[in-house]
Amino acid sequence: MENVIELRNATKKFKGFSVENIDLQVKQGLITGFIGENGAGKSTTIKMMMNLLKPDAGEVKVFGLDFRTHEKEIKERIGFVYDGNVYFEGLNLKDIRRIVGPAYSQWDDDLFYKYVNQFDLPLNKAIKTFSKGMQMKGSLAIALSHHAELIIMDEPTAGLDPNFRRELLELLQEIMVDGKRTIFLSTHMTTDLDRIADYIAFIQRGKLVFNQSIQDISDQYALVKGPLDLLDRDTEKDFVHVHRFKTGFQALTDRVKAVEDTFGNSVVIERASLEEIMYFMKGERQHV
Amino acid sequence: MFNLIRRDVILQKRQLLFFIPFILFFIFMNSHPIMTFLVASIFIPFNAYAYDEKAETNVLLNSLPYTRKEIIASRYLGAVLYMILAISLSSLALFLLDKPFTMRDMAIGSGLFLTFSAFTFPLFYIFKQGYIFTIVLISFLVLAGIGPSILNYVGKYLTPLSQFLANLSGETLYIGALLSALIVYCLSWGFSQKIYQRKAF
Repeated sequence: MENVIELRNATKKFKGFSVENIDLQVKQGLITGFIGENGAGKSTTIKMMMNLLKPDAGEVKVFGLDFRTHEKEIKERIGFVYDGNVYFEGLNLKDIRRIVGPAYSQWDDDLFYKYVNQFDLPLNKAIKTFSKGMQMKGSLAIALSHHAELIIMDEPTAGLDPNFRRELLELLQEIMVDGKRTIFLSTHMTTDLDRIADYIAFIQRGKLVFNQSIQDISDQYALVKGPLDLLDRDTEKDFVHVHRFKTGFQALTDRVKAVEDTFGNSVVIERASLEEIMYFMKGERQHV
Repeated sequence: MFNLIRRDVILQKRQLLFFIPFILFFIFMNSHPIMTFLVASIFIPFNAYAYDEKAETNVLLNSLPYTRKEIIASRYLGAVLYMILAISLSSLALFLLDKPFTMRDMAIGSGLFLTFSAFTFPLFYIFKQGYIFTIVLISFLVLAGIGPSILNYVGKYLTPLSQFLANLSGETLYIGALLSALIVYCLSWGFSQKIYQRKAF
C-alpha cells in the first residue's frame, strides 16, 4: 500500500512544548484517525503536513514529494478543514469561491454548488453569521470541490452537536467510495473514530505512540479485570498500566496472548476501546 | 498570483465605495496634489494588510496552492498596481475638477508612497499581529504632520546637501528620487520575503 504522507523523524520544538521524532506513514485510500489529548501535538503535526510549520529536523513528504521543491503541486491535491474558520468572516460563500476557486487548477464549480445544496448552505450570507456546524460544512464543501486526493482535517468535529457529528462522519464515508481518496483527521473524541477509521495514529506528549490498523489494535490491546491477589511484580509485566480498586483491578495489556497464558480463566478479558487505551496510556507515562 | 492581487478588490468591495469620495475629500480640502496622490495610493494596500493581520488569513493563504514567495510578491506587486490605479483615478478627478497638478507631483507622490510602504510593509511580518495597523496609521499621520517642517529644517541647516540637490536639474532630481524609492522598495521586498519564509502559522 502506498503512503500518501510520510513523516520521518520530524521534530519541532517550541518553548515548553515539542513534538519529537515523529515517524508516521498515512496510507492511501484509507481513513486515518489521529488521536491524542488536547495539547499532545496533533495540530503541530498537521501543520507540518501542510507546510505551515517547518520541522526543525527530519523530513515531511506528501505524495512522495518534498515541499521545498513541489509546494504548489502538493497543495493542489490537498483539501483542508481546520478547527476554526479560516475564511474571511465578512464574506459570503460566493465571494469566498471567487477567491479560493481560482487558486486550484482543478476547481469544479458544479461540484461546489452541488455540495452547497447538499449541505443547505446560504450563498449570500456572511460566514460570521454561520453556526459552527455550517462553517465546518462550508469549509468541507470548499475542500471537496477541487478533486483533492487527500483531505486533512484538524478537529473537524469539535464543537459540533452529536447529530451533526454523525452526519459528518457518514459524509466522510461517502466520499471515500472511489478508493483513491485518503482522509487524515485529528480528534480528541475517539468515539468518532470507532465507526469510520481504518487506521489510528496515537500521539501523546509530542511522541507518536502507535500507528496501526483498527484490527491490529483490537487484536493487540485488551482490558483485563480480575481480583487484586493475582497481581505481583511478575504478572504486572504484561500490563501497560494497572488501576487498583478495593474490589479488584482493571488493567490495559498490549500482550493479550501472554495475559491469557498467565491468568487463564481467572480474569475477564474485554476489548479495549480507543478511549480506554488513551486513558490507561496516560496513567502509564505518569507513573514512570 | 494575479488571483492573489485580485483578492484585495473582492475583500474590499465595500470600502471601495468610499474610495472616490475619499479622494474627492482631499481634493476639496485643497490638499496639495502630492498629498492626494499619496493617501489615495495608501488606501487599498493598507486596507489589505488590515485584513491580512488576522492569523487565520495566513493559515488560509498558506494552505492554498501558493508559495510564500508568491504571497509576498502579490503584496508588493499589488501595492504598485493599486498605486498606479489610485494615481490615475486621482489625476482624472483633479483634471475634471480643474485643479492644477504636475507630473512632478505624481513622481513625488508615488516616490513617497513607495518609501513609506518599504518601511512599513516589513513591520507586518516582523511584529505580532494585531497592533501594527494602528501603529502604521499613527506614524503616517505624525509623519504627514511634522514631515514638511523636518524637511524645511534639513534644507536650512544642511546646506551642502540642499545645494547639491539644487544643482541637479528638476528632471534628474525627481527621476533619481523615484528610482531610489524603487530600490528601497525592492530591498524591503527581499527582506519581507526572508522573514515570511521562516514564519510559522
